[in-house]
Amino acid sequence: MTEKQNQETADQKLVGLLAQFEDPGSLVRACNEARESGYNKIDAYSPFPVHGIDPALGIPRTILPFFVLIIGLTGCAVGLGMQYYANAGDWSPLFPGYNFMISGKPFFSLPANIPVTFEIVILSSAIATFLGMWALNRLPRLANPLHRISRFKRVTNDKFFLLIETKDPQFKREETESQLSQWGASVVEEVNEDLTDQQLPSWLQLAGLMTALILLIPPVLIFRAEGMTSRKPRLHVVPDMDWQEKYKTQTLAPNLGDEQHPNFLFVDGRAMQEPIPGTIARGDLYTDSEYFRGIKSGTESFATISTAGVHTGLQDAAHQDDSHQDEAAKDKPAEPAKDDPAAAPEPDWVTQFPANVHVNQALLERGQRRFNIYCSVCHGYAGNGDGLVNARAMALAASGQAQWTAAKSLNDPETKKNPVGRIFDTISNGRGTMGPYKSQIPVEDRWAIVAYVRALQGTGIKPTTMTKAVEKAVAE
Amino acid sequence: MHEVQPAKITSPIVSLKDNYLRLIPISLIVAAAGIGGALLFSGFNMQRFSFAYLTGFCCLMSLCLGGLFFVIVMHLTRAGWSVTVRRIAEIIAMCTLPMFILYLPILIPLMAGSDEVYVWNQPGWSIHGDAAEKQAVLDASKYPPPIEELKSYYLNRWFFAGRMVTYFAIWGAMAWFFLSNSLKQDKTGDKNLTAKMQKHSTWMMILFAATLVFSSIDFEMSLAPFWFSTMWPVYFFSGGVLSALAAITLICLWLQRSGRVTDEITVEHYHDLGKLMFSFVIFWGYIAFSQFMLIWYANIPEETFWFAWRINPAPDGVMTGWQWFSLLLLFGHLLIPLLALMARTVRRSKNFLVYAAIYLLVMHWVDHYWIVMPQYSDIISDHVGPAAGLAMHFKPLIDIPCAIGMAGVFVALFCLIARDRPLVPLKDPRLGEALAHHNP
Repeated sequence: MTEKQNQETADQKLVGLLAQFEDPGSLVRACNEARESGYNKIDAYSPFPVHGIDPALGIPRTILPFFVLIIGLTGCAVGLGMQYYANAGDWSPLFPGYNFMISGKPFFSLPANIPVTFEIVILSSAIATFLGMWALNRLPRLANPLHRISRFKRVTNDKFFLLIETKDPQFKREETESQLSQWGASVVEEVNEDLTDQQLPSWLQLAGLMTALILLIPPVLIFRAEGMTSRKPRLHVVPDMDWQEKYKTQTLAPNLGDEQHPNFLFVDGRAMQEPIPGTIARGDLYTDSEYFRGIKSGTESFATISTAGVHTGLQDAAHQDDSHQDEAAKDKPAEPAKDDPAAAPEPDWVTQFPANVHVNQALLERGQRRFNIYCSVCHGYAGNGDGLVNARAMALAASGQAQWTAAKSLNDPETKKNPVGRIFDTISNGRGTMGPYKSQIPVEDRWAIVAYVRALQGTGIKPTTMTKAVEKAVAE
Repeated sequence: MHEVQPAKITSPIVSLKDNYLRLIPISLIVAAAGIGGALLFSGFNMQRFSFAYLTGFCCLMSLCLGGLFFVIVMHLTRAGWSVTVRRIAEIIAMCTLPMFILYLPILIPLMAGSDEVYVWNQPGWSIHGDAAEKQAVLDASKYPPPIEELKSYYLNRWFFAGRMVTYFAIWGAMAWFFLSNSLKQDKTGDKNLTAKMQKHSTWMMILFAATLVFSSIDFEMSLAPFWFSTMWPVYFFSGGVLSALAAITLICLWLQRSGRVTDEITVEHYHDLGKLMFSFVIFWGYIAFSQFMLIWYANIPEETFWFAWRINPAPDGVMTGWQWFSLLLLFGHLLIPLLALMARTVRRSKNFLVYAAIYLLVMHWVDHYWIVMPQYSDIISDHVGPAAGLAMHFKPLIDIPCAIGMAGVFVALFCLIARDRPLVPLKDPRLGEALAHHNP
């Protein structure tokens, strides 16, 4: 029993003297007395705000407004910076921003960013006020020794209290007590702090542990789901984005009138409209002329772009827009007829492979496979112009059943002189009776075929047994 | 109600006393000289003068309506702090009724068929050309009905005049209700009068809002009859209340410096008025920007043209110069006063508040100049063509005397209504609360 008593007193520590007052006036007077006597570690407690208590306690004006102002201005800068980064930050290599064109406005246009900036200023100021108030009041506290005093409970009802802390340099146990009584305190009481209060309660520790365990569940579930298959259809979080109400290509535009007086949303009645002449879809602007057209960059005119261009929309635009034709006519002294490509003056073809085409074994093998799929049917596996289709067509032409121009042998001395750019262009857009292949063969595969054709021309492979077999078959 | 000691008025003079007899002629001379000077400098160009006059009128009108709002809202919220400054607001609110006479120079030509100011006052007002041609265009485009035909159901001179009479009658009645009951209380000290005003302030606030919405559309928005802005009345309101608060502050300071109402209005009241001015600076900016941003973002031609004319350096190829006024408003009406009025010490400084209140009143005039005058340059640019630049419409010799004249009108009206009446509600039951008012 005595041991326990000793234990308790060992854990107790005097933190101050609490004086009770019966009305706000005597509290303010006592505060003034205490301040004038040189106390500065004092605090008053009251059921309601008491006018003039701040100067009576000698509390300086709070620095919170300046703190909030600084945080608010920081929020302003962060809000603007965030939007600048997200909307116009394409310079960032690691996480570039989204350069979305929205109703023709600049990527970074200030009016659109003001509401978000404003909200962030308000939010950061409010949080700064709240947290700043806590910090300046040294909150949160797990336990306040005042709550151990039963008398203090009436501070929320009808009593007024003044606390003088032991930390105060003026504090002297007996002298302070007599001073407080002298200033009109009805009761003066010791405030003792139980040091065990400062330890985290065991239930709080348990709750923290439980929270941490519960927070582990979602990542565990995600980890588990990653290695599993599911037969259930996927979840549609935003169904109206997954199944949009929209009019599809090749359908009628919505009719705003009735059947007798149709009034389609678009004049031509089609749901999908063609792009405006001269516009280029995102990602379709092929500026690298050497790579995409096989023409030396800087030398191509609009006409050569349009004839050698890989984008049909661009080509159509050139056909429709006469002004561009006139410009092209200025560039070229003699405007060639569209139907007669042979008469067209040759563009400045590239003679070397473009910088981003790396001619190596892998590319040649790729080119061989593509060549065998697309080209060999006419030009033959060795490029001698003796493919199966050509052989059959020649036979039909010989018997007068068809018109046919013989497929070129790629090993002709004249054909061998063609620069690689011209070969690329031939594959892309066709030449003579040969049709264009740009819609079937991607650009990098076309360059692979060009590389393979060069290899064929260089090695001069003789007709293989395959072609001989074909010849034999044709002859029969 | 908390029983307080009968509040004691300690100031020796709580009214204008005999000074109003001297002030009224002086302010009337200023008014006549200012407005007459404007007319003279305009070379009796009635259209140009009318626009300058309308600028000053709308500036003052919104100020008086702001005063009326202040009175109603103080009763509605049972405010105790504002009792000592409420009488000044009551007098400002009472100015709304005589303001009708000041609107007659605009209204009478309108009724006589003039479309110089309000271009909608002609059939087929949107189409240039002679009347027959306008009518022909109107007849030809029956389906869908042109917007001017739909709007002409609202914007026609008889309905317009009828609305004007209604607005001023309602405002005058409401202002007189508050002023007369408050004056009656000065004599009787009857607390029931406060309860009565508080009770009726409820539906009066709704009526005030309704009349303010339509009147603001009629006064200024209908200068550009094609324009749509649902934010407009709030914009008009926010500037009006801000200017009313500035005027109340200025009048309080003037009264105290001239030795009247010395002890009743304390630094705490100035602090609260300063707080309200600060908040209405933000509110004005919030509303002005909301109006602008929604129109800017939606980018619909029938809405954007109004701002395009004021913000683009050369709308329709005309170097109007209005973009400088737009920038002046952004900085002068929002950002500068926002920062200047932010600190507590500043709002408690009488010396500073004098300048702040005068500055805000000047900015209020710039705001209305920016609203009204570009419509004039729009009209003349149709006649003059792209040459109609800033020099064509910006004539300070017309506009500034007119503004000073309107200030004179305001002082004259204030003195006429105040006379030797007490400038503080002497026996208001909350007077004690106001006198003991203390900002934490």
